[in-house]
Amino acid sequence: MDTLLHGFVTATARLGLDYRFLLDDYERVPFVQGLGVSIEIIVSTMTASAVAGLLLLLALRGRNRLVCGLARGFIEVTRNTPTLVQLYCAFLVLNMLITQWLHARGIDNPFKPFFWVVLVLSLHKAAFHAEALRAGFDALPSQTLEGAASLGFSRATRFWRIELPLALRAALPALVNNMVELVKASAVASAIAVGDVTYQSIMIWTQRDNVLALMLLILAFFGVLTWLVTLAGSWLERRYRIPGYGY
Amino acid sequence: MTLTKLRRLLTPVVLASAMAASFTAHADATLDKINSRHELTVGVLIGGSPFGSLDPSTQQPRGFNVDLANELGKRLGVKVQLVSVLPSTRVQFLQQGKVDILIANMEYNAQRGEILDHVATPYYRVGGTAITLKTSGITRWEDLRGKPVCISQGSSYIRPIVERYGAIPRAFPGASQSLLALRGGSCVAAVHDAAPLLYPLLQSDPEWHDYRALQPEIEPAPSVIWVRQGEHDTAAKLDTFVRDLHRNGWFIATEAKNGLNPPSPALAEWHQQLPAEN
Repeated sequence: MDTLLHGFVTATARLGLDYRFLLDDYERVPFVQGLGVSIEIIVSTMTASAVAGLLLLLALRGRNRLVCGLARGFIEVTRNTPTLVQLYCAFLVLNMLITQWLHARGIDNPFKPFFWVVLVLSLHKAAFHAEALRAGFDALPSQTLEGAASLGFSRATRFWRIELPLALRAALPALVNNMVELVKASAVASAIAVGDVTYQSIMIWTQRDNVLALMLLILAFFGVLTWLVTLAGSWLERRYRIPGYGY
Repeated sequence: MTLTKLRRLLTPVVLASAMAASFTAHADATLDKINSRHELTVGVLIGGSPFGSLDPSTQQPRGFNVDLANELGKRLGVKVQLVSVLPSTRVQFLQQGKVDILIANMEYNAQRGEILDHVATPYYRVGGTAITLKTSGITRWEDLRGKPVCISQGSSYIRPIVERYGAIPRAFPGASQSLLALRGGSCVAAVHDAAPLLYPLLQSDPEWHDYRALQPEIEPAPSVIWVRQGEHDTAAKLDTFVRDLHRNGWFIATEAKNGLNPPSPALAEWHQQLPAEN
């Protein structure tokens, strides 16, 4: 492993790229941990945003007009403000107020930067998921809906057994697109010092001035991740295709 | 009167006039420009600290940097034109000739020394300090071992706090985010420039009343006046002024006048040392 690393460092040095940090435990270990943290952020956010997106959709399609209005308002506010600003508001302002409130009662703030970045990204993407799903529901053929109603299914059964499975298929390309966006958006974690791969790279290049070398590594890392997401997306599209249905 | 006596009397005069002649003949471009336009253009940092800020009542710049610029203009016998510069673009302002000199809290380091020239004698010394809650139990730099410390990305204080004191850096894009994160409890302390940022904050902002600064300052670096590369005559001329201002206590008085507190030990040191050199 060591000889392999040395070989890589000398080979890239000839191209003018400085990867010597890979030979230094003090920098390589945080960098590798950063890769792990980035993946943790991405996986947690994908799961949480899917759940939150579905909840928003339920709120939008529910009978309660107040809940529906609140969900609509939340989606508009979240979609129309930058993620970085939301993250600063949540972590630097909201988190500070929570800390001070808890501190006055002698309790430590249990919310760490990792939690805030997952929360903000999840809610941000959930708004986009809900919109994609809404498009899927709007595309449901009225004959199918009428047919289901005429068979005497309850409202809940129709939603879970007929409408959602079909709407999901229609929304799948847009949802996969959201997930690709989400992978890339995870880099904002570096702005609040969560130790993700972008943050660790910034820490290394401010000491070593090897910005280009690290940029290429991060690009490759995100490129591979988004490619995997796209692969998974097209697999899902094939897997759930209904022959003759057009999706 | 013997010939030797006459020569002894005349030598200093001849020497002095010869020096003066050579001085005017070989004055560098910056000095020529200052003399011909009777104006010194100074890039100052108006960052809202005692070094440079806008007077809320008159909207005029004031502070330590501004006072120094005006004093140098007075000694050169020219008008002073102040240009407000930012840390990110101040070097370009100087290199493109928009300003003649920079008095902008810019510390000397070797990389900067390669692209610019500077006045040899520094006018201030800026180091890093940590601010922490008075109740945090941290009284020495060594107490930061193993604890999270808020800092700016790219700060020159990251390496010393990590390597010397074993702290865990939490680096934010800028000082404002780092300080907010400190208040949010993400770290036990925040490390930034002492005199330009943290000392004024502790003194003038009631929100920071419960915090205090660690001593001594780490990585102290000299703040110098920068000139364009090759402008040695300008640098030499200003150096005589700066040395004189140290000698006669002008810097110490101006520091006190602008409310820079605690007083810099470096200014006292230079005040003591400089007369001894002559």
